[in-house]
Amino acid sequence: MFCGEKLGELSERRSASGIGFVMQRPEQQIVTDKVWHELAFGLENLGVPPKEIARRTAEMASYFGIGDWFDRDVSQLSGGQKQLLNLAAVLVMQPELLILDEPTAQLDPIAAADFIATLKRLCSDFSLTILIAEHRLEDLVPLCDRLLVMEQGRLIADAAPAEVLGDLGGRPEVMAGMPAASRLFAMLGGEGKSPLTVREGRNFIEQNYGNSVRSLEEKEYTALEIPALEFREVCFRYSREGKDILDGMSLKVWQGELLCILGGNGSGKTTSLRAAAGLIRPYSGKIEIFGKKLGKYREQSLYRECLAMMPQDVQTVFLRNTLREELEECGADWKSLPFDLSPLLDKHPYDLSGGQQQLAALAKVLASKPKLLLLDEPTKGLDAQAKSEFTGVLRRLKAEGVTICAVTHDVEFAAEAADRCAMFFGGRIVSEGTPENFFSCNNFYTTAASRMTRGWYEKAVTVSQAAQLCTLNGRKGAGQ
Amino acid sequence: MRRFSEISPAAAALWYLSVMGISMFCNYPVLAAMTIAGGCMVFIMIAGKGHGREHLFFWLLFAVLAIANPLTSHNGRTVLFVMNNNPVTLEALLYGLNSAALIVGVLYLLRSFTMIMTADRLLYLTGFLSPKLSLTLSMALRFVPLFGRQWQKISDAQRAMGLYRDNNFLDDLKGRMRIFSILVTWALENGITTADSMEARGYGCGRRSQLRQYRTTLQDAVFMAADAVLTGVCVFAVCKNGFRFGFYPDTFVEKPGIKGICGIIAFGLLILMPLVTEGTVKLRWRYLQSRV
Repeated sequence: MFCGEKLGELSERRSASGIGFVMQRPEQQIVTDKVWHELAFGLENLGVPPKEIARRTAEMASYFGIGDWFDRDVSQLSGGQKQLLNLAAVLVMQPELLILDEPTAQLDPIAAADFIATLKRLCSDFSLTILIAEHRLEDLVPLCDRLLVMEQGRLIADAAPAEVLGDLGGRPEVMAGMPAASRLFAMLGGEGKSPLTVREGRNFIEQNYGNSVRSLEEKEYTALEIPALEFREVCFRYSREGKDILDGMSLKVWQGELLCILGGNGSGKTTSLRAAAGLIRPYSGKIEIFGKKLGKYREQSLYRECLAMMPQDVQTVFLRNTLREELEECGADWKSLPFDLSPLLDKHPYDLSGGQQQLAALAKVLASKPKLLLLDEPTKGLDAQAKSEFTGVLRRLKAEGVTICAVTHDVEFAAEAADRCAMFFGGRIVSEGTPENFFSCNNFYTTAASRMTRGWYEKAVTVSQAAQLCTLNGRKGAGQ
Repeated sequence: MRRFSEISPAAAALWYLSVMGISMFCNYPVLAAMTIAGGCMVFIMIAGKGHGREHLFFWLLFAVLAIANPLTSHNGRTVLFVMNNNPVTLEALLYGLNSAALIVGVLYLLRSFTMIMTADRLLYLTGFLSPKLSLTLSMALRFVPLFGRQWQKISDAQRAMGLYRDNNFLDDLKGRMRIFSILVTWALENGITTADSMEARGYGCGRRSQLRQYRTTLQDAVFMAADAVLTGVCVFAVCKNGFRFGFYPDTFVEKPGIKGICGIIAFGLLILMPLVTEGTVKLRWRYLQSRV
């Protein structure tokens, strides 16, 4: 039913203009080659007079701040801009209902936050009904009026977010993707309305728990101090006139550790990985893999049982029609992997879900038995459940002696999984340290748990650490 | 007032069409000389200084074309010298020069045409013929570079996993074949998403309209009218046999009568139109600046 009409009886026109739909992948939804044409596309389909189209696209472009890139090629836009364009191209048709299917799954946290902020503005500026299916909920849930939770085709909750999250506290697999404040609330067995935002979470802690124990005992992190990968003053630029993407970058990745490189969008994190994998050649500086210069590896020897890189877009890893062919061809021993791929073997790699694709790609990358694994945005598009599984897999690989260097936007993942974190900015590494030190020093680029407990506790960067501290301190008033 | 490279695509296209049409159909030496001079000037005006390589290429081509004709065609009466038992004649040389001037002139024009006719200006023009064609072209223009980028990504990914070998030709070819085959799958897969997105935005539910990016201003109208009048005069001169000339057996260019002179002047004005537009714009700016 849509506005009292049965959906099946809705005319094509009515459904096109009344219901807006934005999907997961920003790139593939775009139809034409220019931004302005993309905005006009829907209205052109409806046969709206050109003058009216010009007026409405201009209006929408200025509302979204698209004015500056109105005449550009869509290929020049970043992922976040593409998704905003998709949203604008739908809204220009003035829908009454907006349906979004995981709109931020392929975006980095900053672009996602931007996108969500735009949705919030839309919601308050127009009385628009928005329906979102999403598993990245940290920023989204506090904005919602109603939260519906689905499990295996059944609706298990339908109410205001704070109530739903208060009730679902006992279901850790459902809670895994929820905002940090509600997860903390659930872990501590809170009852009633759950806090949603960092601020509410902070109030909850301060009101209910003391801070006599300020920090957890620190685990000493000791690395082998033999570098598996070393950058020494590496400089790289794409063209002679361009500016340096890597500008004197120096970094050591010790053997057997998991290092996360964090940093903003387009800052050159991916470029540094590509340089380490020998895909691009820096114009000055040295890169050494296991103490041997990158250039000294002849032809394939670098990639044979030494180094492998998993690209950001994991679809590019697959070449065959079924996963079985894929894995057999490169001789991957999928039975000994720390995860089970057997139910997926006869599917086409493109038909797998995001998380499954990630695991399948990892299986293929591991086929060459690398000692050093480079991962580019490994958690992009994964839901919380898949992410924690993936983290587990990485831990097990590390236990087997594999060195892992991951480039990521995902601060929560880095806090959870990394032995050390490094901040990439302005073409080089500006700070590094264990997650506890690293994130408690950062003010902005840090986890929600760290922001929630700042000043009250020290060095609590994950939700479970915060929960532990709260339990240690005990509930206010309970012990007296 | 706008510069020549910024006037409406329709006006610009009309100008190129009429200049090239007239000069190619008459083959008249005076017009050929004007075409190469005008084409060269318009190219410099649009492309700016530099582009030495392109000029070199065009003038080398000119020389080759001019020399090739007398070496292959032996018509004509005035024998200059004999090479390999074949006479090289003055008439054939003149004919070669004439057609070389014409061809290189038109090439210069086409080069400047591709410089000002960017993709969206061409799409605007095809939109007049058929909105559907225009949309298809627009989608193709987006897709071709996308395909190329994806190719690069896949081959990088395979290389970094040690699965892409290019040690010998056969392995390289095999690798490329496989990448191509998965690229086709990828394109189809993405095509489905794009089709969904098109349908959700009402593609195919009735007549399409089209947003036009370029307005036709008074300047465009004046430009097109002038173009039409001058072209008309030239066509009139050609039809009324105003240009009398021949290359074989003797080369002669008859002194043009009143019709011929009118035709030559009209063509001269026609080919100067972009330069006049540009000059006026520059003068206006200077005038405005001096007043500030």
